[in-house]
Amino acid sequence: MSALLGLAHLAALLLLPFPVVGLVNRTKARWAGRKGPRLLQSLSDLRRLLRKRPVYSRVTTVLFVAGPLVLLASTLVAGLVAPLLGAFAPLAFRYDFVVFAYLWGLGRLALMLAALDTGSSFEGMGASREATFSALVEPALFLALGTLAAATGQASFSSLLHVGFGSVAQAVVSAGVLVTLVILLQVEAARVPVDDPTTHLELTMIHEVMILDHAGPDLAAVQYAAAVKLTVCAALIAGMLNPLGPADGPGLVAAVNLALTLAVAVGVGLVESLVARLKLQVIPQYVLVGAASAFVALLTTAWWQGGGR
Amino acid sequence: MTLLWLAALALLVGAALSLGLKDNEHRGWAAIGSQAVATALVLIEVVPVLLGGGDLRSSVAWSFPIDRIAVHLDPLGAFFLAWSLPLTLVGTVYALGYLRPWFRTRNAGVQFALLNVTSLSFILIYTVESAFVFLLGWEIAAVAAWLLVVWDYRNQKIRFAGFNYLVSTHIGLFFLLAAFMVMYSQVGSMDFQAFGPFLRTPGPLRNVTFLLLVTSFGLKSAFFPFHTWLPRAHSAAPAHVSALMSGVIHKAGLFGLLRVTLLLGAPEAWMGWYVLGFSALSVLLGVLYTTAQRDLKRLLGYSSTENVGIAGMGFGVGYLGLAWHQPALVALGFTGGILHLLNHAFFKCLLFYAAGAVYRATHTVDLERLGGLARRMPWTATSFLVGGIAISALPPLNGFVSELLIYAGLLDQGAPAGIERGLLVLGAALLAFAGGVSALAMTRAFGVTFLGAPRDPAVHCDGEVPRSMRLPMALLALGVLALGLLPWLGLAVVEQPAALFLAGLEGARPATQLGAAALLGPVAGVGALLLLVLAALAAVRWWLQRGAAAPRRVTWGCGYTAPTPRMQYTGTAFSSQFTGIFPTVLRHLRRERLPEGPFPPPGDHINTHCVDAVEQRMFEVMGEGDGLVTRLARQIPVEPRFSLAAGLVVLLVVIGMVLTAAGGGR
Repeated sequence: MSALLGLAHLAALLLLPFPVVGLVNRTKARWAGRKGPRLLQSLSDLRRLLRKRPVYSRVTTVLFVAGPLVLLASTLVAGLVAPLLGAFAPLAFRYDFVVFAYLWGLGRLALMLAALDTGSSFEGMGASREATFSALVEPALFLALGTLAAATGQASFSSLLHVGFGSVAQAVVSAGVLVTLVILLQVEAARVPVDDPTTHLELTMIHEVMILDHAGPDLAAVQYAAAVKLTVCAALIAGMLNPLGPADGPGLVAAVNLALTLAVAVGVGLVESLVARLKLQVIPQYVLVGAASAFVALLTTAWWQGGGR
Repeated sequence: MTLLWLAALALLVGAALSLGLKDNEHRGWAAIGSQAVATALVLIEVVPVLLGGGDLRSSVAWSFPIDRIAVHLDPLGAFFLAWSLPLTLVGTVYALGYLRPWFRTRNAGVQFALLNVTSLSFILIYTVESAFVFLLGWEIAAVAAWLLVVWDYRNQKIRFAGFNYLVSTHIGLFFLLAAFMVMYSQVGSMDFQAFGPFLRTPGPLRNVTFLLLVTSFGLKSAFFPFHTWLPRAHSAAPAHVSALMSGVIHKAGLFGLLRVTLLLGAPEAWMGWYVLGFSALSVLLGVLYTTAQRDLKRLLGYSSTENVGIAGMGFGVGYLGLAWHQPALVALGFTGGILHLLNHAFFKCLLFYAAGAVYRATHTVDLERLGGLARRMPWTATSFLVGGIAISALPPLNGFVSELLIYAGLLDQGAPAGIERGLLVLGAALLAFAGGVSALAMTRAFGVTFLGAPRDPAVHCDGEVPRSMRLPMALLALGVLALGLLPWLGLAVVEQPAALFLAGLEGARPATQLGAAALLGPVAGVGALLLLVLAALAAVRWWLQRGAAAPRRVTWGCGYTAPTPRMQYTGTAFSSQFTGIFPTVLRHLRRERLPEGPFPPPGDHINTHCVDAVEQRMFEVMGEGDGLVTRLARQIPVEPRFSLAAGLVVLLVVIGMVLTAAGGGR
């Protein structure tokens, strides 16, 4: 059973990003009254990019080519730790969520270095913004996951997310962590209102401006990694919302989780249709909202466990 | 024990030879040879102790006032000796290459002799049990470090940095002396074992002694706010001295803390919170300062404050575990903290050596003037990158291993549920923040120095550094990789020292059985998997692009066709958005004369640099403290909120006095 689930996890990790990105774009298109691209358009884009020959800047070193590969490798390995299918992950061990967060950190560092490698001031600007916002979102993520660890008494990512909404305290903890995870999704996967993956104005972008010089397979790796990150974040949110527990059988939990993940993708599309991008100066405050809500969840947990009950 | 004495003798002979020989090259080799002999002797003696072969004790009669020198080699001292001497040897090899340009004009023998003496002081500090001799070793290390720092003594700035260090380290010595005097007055002996019973009995005097000792050791290891001497000293000293001070010599402070912890028995919970809080503050402020520095070595200096803080947080968790009788917390906290000391020694020395190589090749470490060095100095760039990834605690390198253990301690369910556990989770979040900020600082340092194009045409790069400087970097980089990919190596070394702290707890098992090893197994697996996936992706990437090589053009300038290297993002620009969030801590000084009018006269300039807020305030208070008070006092009648606050303070004092008087009368 667990081998089967492992295969399903791997398949979800590698293939789910395409329909998730497709759903986000389709939702935005429908909301704007357009028909929108095919659901698997991003798969065709990826194949087209893989066939192209890249052009490199004369100042770049081997790091420029290595950056996207390290980003993709670390994102994929981190994806094996994250519970994409509810309460299961192929690599589950104590404090695996720390490994997850730091693997993402490694990918980010590789991408930032590849951006700086070009010597372009635009890409330096993008790397600077990425570094700033990710440094701020990191403590929010750890507050959220640490709170979940304290609330559930578990130490592995795949068993952390089932806090549920049973009592008032549990509902507050879940809601606080959910807010953090939504903001995490928007920062890490570069979505509106933090960043806009479709804008092409260099001065306002974060993620896209770092990859101005990447082309062909390098760009494909970066875009695929971004889609995987979006999917993993959506699956984490789905795991928090999933009403089924381990008692209901892993197959059913996985199916519900997949459906919820797609629903979260639709939600991301709706947010992008309805909300404008934030000004760059207020993004740190927006990220702090994530840390603050996780802090509320932490205080609630402390009160709840410390005898407040 | 004899081998230790022989090692000390070898070091002394080597120091004498370094001073006596005629040629600088020979002096260097004398130091290296003697240190190699001493290191081999010490390792033969130390490794069995470290792997659980039992303690070594001996005692030498000495004249008044010392009476007797008790020598006791336990796993803790063995652990520190096992890496301090080899790393000093590596540093001496580096020094031979680094100092070579001065060989024609200067006598480098003093430097080499002092490096030998530093090794000697390690043997003293890490083995003796008599407070007198311990202080002697402490003082030898401090003075030797000072003399090593002021190598370029003709430069007034460097003399000032050295003097600043000398004063700071002696303030720390006074605290240590005070603590020893308190203990001597209570037990009538200067022997560490005799201090034990006093330190184990709860009471106000024990608390005072604990605070004195922590302050002294905090000053030695440059905890915030006692770090002010450190960035100056590190940027002034030659690279090998900065590396050894930051990575090796100042670990003596944390050794002192651990030694005292062993004598304390079961500490009270507030001591744990104190160590944890103090360390957390160091982590936070140390890492914030790394983001704003222009000087590469200053930046690395601040990151020392951060990293001793991380180790200190591990010790704090261990203290709390001892206070709460939670063996898992003790094992994870102390194992993680001690392992982080070792890891920090490796990657910090590596980073300082790379920074020194940059200085040797370009004669500057100012980030804003460098750029594009990766293609000229591939060895140095690789070394710095490996060190930078390790110091940002990213997998699969060694910094991550020790931080994971500390995370595990902070998030362990052994802490009492409620506010205590909440505070520890906050500590974990702080550590995560430090990791993110450290990644920012290292991306900035590496990216601005080694990537892009050279920023300043006046800076000339001499190319890659000589082999004697590349070899130490390569060795340390291999160490960083090995400790990261095979975490059992590090764990085997720290297991016995960490087990010492568990000895006081009833029914405790060895550290490995309490989760440290079980935690690190999967980490090694993930590291290997990461490398495997990366290799597979690289193979696919190569297969896709087989055939014609990719063409090379200029960087895409978004339509602008005349870019210059001066238009690249600078280090200050890179961190300006982040530093803007913390204006009170990261103050920027601006010196500027901006162009005015249609025909501005030449000589316009703008110069910004980040000043240390603590140091600035300290100098402000020392320079015009009375003035500050007068100015504040003058404000009281003017500003309503000040007068309100002053009134409240007076009211509180009066009420307090009345209550005390009433209590006394009863």
